[in-house]
Amino acid sequence: MLNLIWREYILFKQSMLFFIPFILFLTFFYDGFHTAVIFLGGSFAISFNSYAYDEKAETDILLNSLPYTRKEIIASRYLGGIVHMIVSIAFTSALLFIFNKPYTVTDIAISIALFLVFASLLFPLFHVIKKGYFLTVAVNSFLLITIPGSKVRSFVANLVTAVTEFTSGAMLAAMLIYAVSWGISVIIYERKEF
Amino acid sequence: MENVVELKGVTKNFKGFSVENMNLEVKQGYITGFIGENGAGKSTTLKMIMNLLRPDAGEVNIFGMDYKQHEKEIKQRIGFVYDSNVFFEGLNVKDIKRIVAPAYKQWDDALFYRYVEQFELPLNKAIKTFSKGMQMKVSLAIALSHHAEFIIMDEPTAGLDPIFRRELLHLLQEIMEDGQRTIFFSTHITTDLDRIADYIALIQKGNLLFNHSIHEIEENYTLVKGSLDLLDRDTEQAFVHVHRTSTGFEALAKNVQNVEHTFGNDVVMERASLEDIMYYFKGGMQHA
Repeated sequence: MLNLIWREYILFKQSMLFFIPFILFLTFFYDGFHTAVIFLGGSFAISFNSYAYDEKAETDILLNSLPYTRKEIIASRYLGGIVHMIVSIAFTSALLFIFNKPYTVTDIAISIALFLVFASLLFPLFHVIKKGYFLTVAVNSFLLITIPGSKVRSFVANLVTAVTEFTSGAMLAAMLIYAVSWGISVIIYERKEF
Repeated sequence: MENVVELKGVTKNFKGFSVENMNLEVKQGYITGFIGENGAGKSTTLKMIMNLLRPDAGEVNIFGMDYKQHEKEIKQRIGFVYDSNVFFEGLNVKDIKRIVAPAYKQWDDALFYRYVEQFELPLNKAIKTFSKGMQMKVSLAIALSHHAEFIIMDEPTAGLDPIFRRELLHLLQEIMEDGQRTIFFSTHITTDLDRIADYIALIQKGNLLFNHSIHEIEENYTLVKGSLDLLDRDTEQAFVHVHRTSTGFEALAKNVQNVEHTFGNDVVMERASLEDIMYYFKGGMQHA
């Protein structure tokens, strides 16, 4: 299981050059937008990097030929998501600290809740959407969340406010959604043919 | 004799194609070649053996176990080589090893590096820069480095130059020497099999036509040549398929004694190559 999560970091090594400027970009250009989004961007980047990679390669065939069960493969995606989130929060916090941008623990909490919710929606999609389109969907949804003026953004902004007010409740709800999404992904993946 | 693979009544339906009620046994300690034209169902069968596809009906047993209960135990003991590259193209051989090796309990690093050296694989170059043959060598090095008892390969010799193809066949013979290993590989290059296979399974349009030892095939199948006037409805029964030309006929017979009995010395008999057998079976199917 750990091997499968570690795998995503071996893949991620390739994208480091993209990741750092991406976070820097968010840090500077999304000034004024909620700091939570910066954390969110980082968390998304690692998880979706590996999805994007796997979409290009015949990863499903590889992983399913190795001694892993399908349940484990899905579990590694979801547990991996949490690991990536923690790594990226640590990394982003360090950057924000270095560049002297203020952030609060609530920002982090909000980003965690948001990440869990969006990952819950997108992860199962990966196994449903036709090969080659997933990254487009993921990037577009992220842009919709962050581009000023978009309806989704104002929805998210409202969500952020709501989450801010009920952080602990929202966090619980997000975790519940993540767990349900995990279950759905397992059901979808168990039925897949490669 | 023990079977490493047993397919019992396996059926798999796709749109416009299906594998029907297949019963296939792969015997332990031998090399079985799996032949058939493109689209005959070789890859589908291989994928069912690997549990990448699940049959609509029938049973798949590997090492006497089923995938429902023993997926990991089974796959620990299998080495696989596919016809297309399944590894991450942007990665180098070292990183691929880092990803794959921890999955196997019996991974042998020293052995892996021995194969890397033997196949002259660069460790630090992205494999997307490799030729198809080199990518196949990477798969092979990985498949052979965890002491797998069963090696399954889909068209491993396709895209290889003749020299490496020969080397590969040698290597396969070498790894068979301890008598514990079993190899099952699909190919449409039948000359490969003449050299190394112990058993041949022939599949056509989703049906397994036969699974015989090379010895049985040599003893039973024969090419028969003779003049056209020898043929009539009764005598033709001896053949899988008859090919007529203006000067005479050429046909494939399933049973040598039968032909000798029917035609005596009036016909010429020759050893049928696997290619001949495939060709005539195909003709036979079309005219059936």
